[in-house]
Amino acid sequence: MSQALEGIVVVDLTREFYASLAGALLGDFGATVIRVEDLADPHEVDHDRNGMHPPERWNSLDELAHRNKQSLAVDLDQAEGREILSKLVEGADVFLTDLPSATLDEKGWSYEGLCERKSDIVLARGSGFGPRGPDRDLLALDELAAARTGAMPTLPEPGQPPVYSGVGQMQTSVMLALGIMLALHHRDECGEGQVVDASLFGGNMYSQSLDLQAYLAIRDDRFLEPLSRLDSGNPMSGPMYPSDDGRWVTLAMPDTDKYWPSFAEVVGLEADDPRFDSHEKRCGENRLLMMQVLDERFRTKPGSHWKRELDARQLPADVIETYDYPASDSNAAANRYILDLEHPTHGAIQSLGFPIHMSEGTARLRRMAPCVGQHGAEILQERLGYEDDRILELEAEGILGAGSRS
Amino acid sequence: MTKALDGIRVLDLTQWLQGPVCAQYLADFGAEVIHVERPVSGDGARGVRSIKALAIGDWNQYFQVINRNKKSLAIDLKNPEGQELFYELVEKSDVLLSNFVPENLKAWGLTWEKLRERNPRLVFATNTGYGHAREINRPSYDINVQALTGLMTRQGEPGEPPIYLGMGSGDTYGGLMSAFGIMVALHQRRRTGRGQYLDASLYGAQLFMAAPTLQPFLASRAPERSRYSMQQSRKGARNPLWNCYRAEDKWVFLCLANTDDNWSLLCRSLEGSELASDARFDSAEKRAEHNTELIALLDELLLGRRAGEWIESWRSLGIAAAPIQTMKDLAEDPQAWENDYFLKAHCDEVNREVEIRGLPITLSKTPGSVESLGPELGQDTELILADVLGMDWDRIGELKERGVIP
Repeated sequence: MSQALEGIVVVDLTREFYASLAGALLGDFGATVIRVEDLADPHEVDHDRNGMHPPERWNSLDELAHRNKQSLAVDLDQAEGREILSKLVEGADVFLTDLPSATLDEKGWSYEGLCERKSDIVLARGSGFGPRGPDRDLLALDELAAARTGAMPTLPEPGQPPVYSGVGQMQTSVMLALGIMLALHHRDECGEGQVVDASLFGGNMYSQSLDLQAYLAIRDDRFLEPLSRLDSGNPMSGPMYPSDDGRWVTLAMPDTDKYWPSFAEVVGLEADDPRFDSHEKRCGENRLLMMQVLDERFRTKPGSHWKRELDARQLPADVIETYDYPASDSNAAANRYILDLEHPTHGAIQSLGFPIHMSEGTARLRRMAPCVGQHGAEILQERLGYEDDRILELEAEGILGAGSRS
Repeated sequence: MTKALDGIRVLDLTQWLQGPVCAQYLADFGAEVIHVERPVSGDGARGVRSIKALAIGDWNQYFQVINRNKKSLAIDLKNPEGQELFYELVEKSDVLLSNFVPENLKAWGLTWEKLRERNPRLVFATNTGYGHAREINRPSYDINVQALTGLMTRQGEPGEPPIYLGMGSGDTYGGLMSAFGIMVALHQRRRTGRGQYLDASLYGAQLFMAAPTLQPFLASRAPERSRYSMQQSRKGARNPLWNCYRAEDKWVFLCLANTDDNWSLLCRSLEGSELASDARFDSAEKRAEHNTELIALLDELLLGRRAGEWIESWRSLGIAAAPIQTMKDLAEDPQAWENDYFLKAHCDEVNREVEIRGLPITLSKTPGSVESLGPELGQDTELILADVLGMDWDRIGELKERGVIP
């Protein structure tokens, strides 16, 4: 079966996870994504810089961000190395990068520079804070962008430290990929390329967009402060209650009249308990008392008990899971959201799969993340028409990374 | 001005958040998006009256912002004549998007078999709750799905409740993912001449969104797995130089890899402190080993000055850090406004200019724009039938009499 983006060629000069992942999203749907690694400036990102990823059996975030890509390692300080890149650009549709714009200008990979080699190229740039404005050249780190977009102090319980989740950058990856597809669509209609920009700042803003939009419109300080888990006008809608094994239960029953009789049974209260026998009492005069009682009740049994009892009565409530749930969820596997893989060196492992299902253009794992320079010779030979001898010379001169020949 | 998606027509049969956000991206870039609604009450989001227990204000920013740049068509899809009319529109459209549950679509006679028969070029996109592969009958609001993925449990300090990452944070990601999928399918159509079915579910999108911690979880084995699935205290961060610290007035995010160079830079900024000569911290290994002591000492030291002073001194030394801002700070941040991440638009409902979430994807030649905010229910019904289906006014009158359209 053919893939949706077959024939699209992406030159990928990215370094940070979020930007590399945009290339992988295109590769998943069949684009040829050539990851170019500069031998003169390897600038390898230290994945443990945040202290979260001590050396493990393999770097799984790299595996995700570089899957379905080929790797070409060249010395871009050498004229011959740059010429190889330029030839690649001549045959490419997209130039994807997160290098600072000053670097792009300096190396001749500005939009104008690239257009000299490929007049309808789409240049896609990831940045920290967007293509314009006073801070457009600030360091592109998701943490710094998240710190600036207002959500971090509002997420925890009052008095707790701010929360960084890392999901903002995930928006940016897809924004870059969507922007590229929009630009390719326009190119195919009208024949002109253009520049696509998406930033970690913009991604983080959209990641919390409803709260942010509400604040813009209402300007109430309630949006600036963290809210307690019990800050709800309704004990049966919004609050979170702890169970006896530390798992938490959250309820979503705004219409308490509808759910009260079966819910009362679950938590061992009488439906005609005079303290709680009307919506007005539950959400009005006895609201705090009811929260206190529920808090005590939920602490008496483990999460699995509450899940079973709530599910049996089809009550809208959730017992909040850990990652163990999706890891063993047959539905996540059936939809290929999570894959079981046999890694050539690491054996049986799991990985995130594909968030989009397509009836014809299915995403596929064609290859695992490449070793640095793994496809250099192949790309030069097949894509750029270099002779074998010349390739060996380039390797000997250190202009082409030898990688491992496949 | 030319738009990237000029000439693309989208039937936006969606409600609430994920589906409308998906179509919003397409509408921002010039697609003709028709929000298809029930005649009497329309999209449920039109009825939102409060947000975080606050009155929504004099305009419904929840509905209006995500349905900007769209038309509204009111049609009774329970009526067989309405269904046929809808199919006639399908024949004239490029994309049909729906986030209604499959039972609704079946009840309206909308099946992929019949849709593709009527329009083989149609891209039919759904946003199911839990994926296309299985029929799962469970509520799929943003909170239900966030509770299931495990992402909430990972956030915050140990012992604190799980953290919901902000209203609609998963929905907006699912919408973005869906828009990307639609563009990929439109690209494939150019080559094959055929449309296809695609699904971007809320569960699939949210699992992908959790990648920064879920992917390393999946790729490791117990007991390492818990490092990625359970709450990790900031007081025990393995790299104390990459952490949130409280300054006198607000928190700051310090982002330094644990190297000796960075350590001496930081010590230089802590004028007069004895940390630089403290033998417990004179190598990366020791700083990781004595992390809790170091964090406690930094907690004390950093509390002594205001965030702005630290940031200024750190910037001059090239130390990556940012103050942790509130949405109030963000609302005034020139970086957000200069990149059009915030915009001003005229709101008909209150007849004044309002501030809205803007355009996180920047295209240099075919930029997005906001021409209008959300439409009134059914405001374009007659014109769409006349312009798209070439219907005459008498026939439109008959449809009204028979209650097919309002």
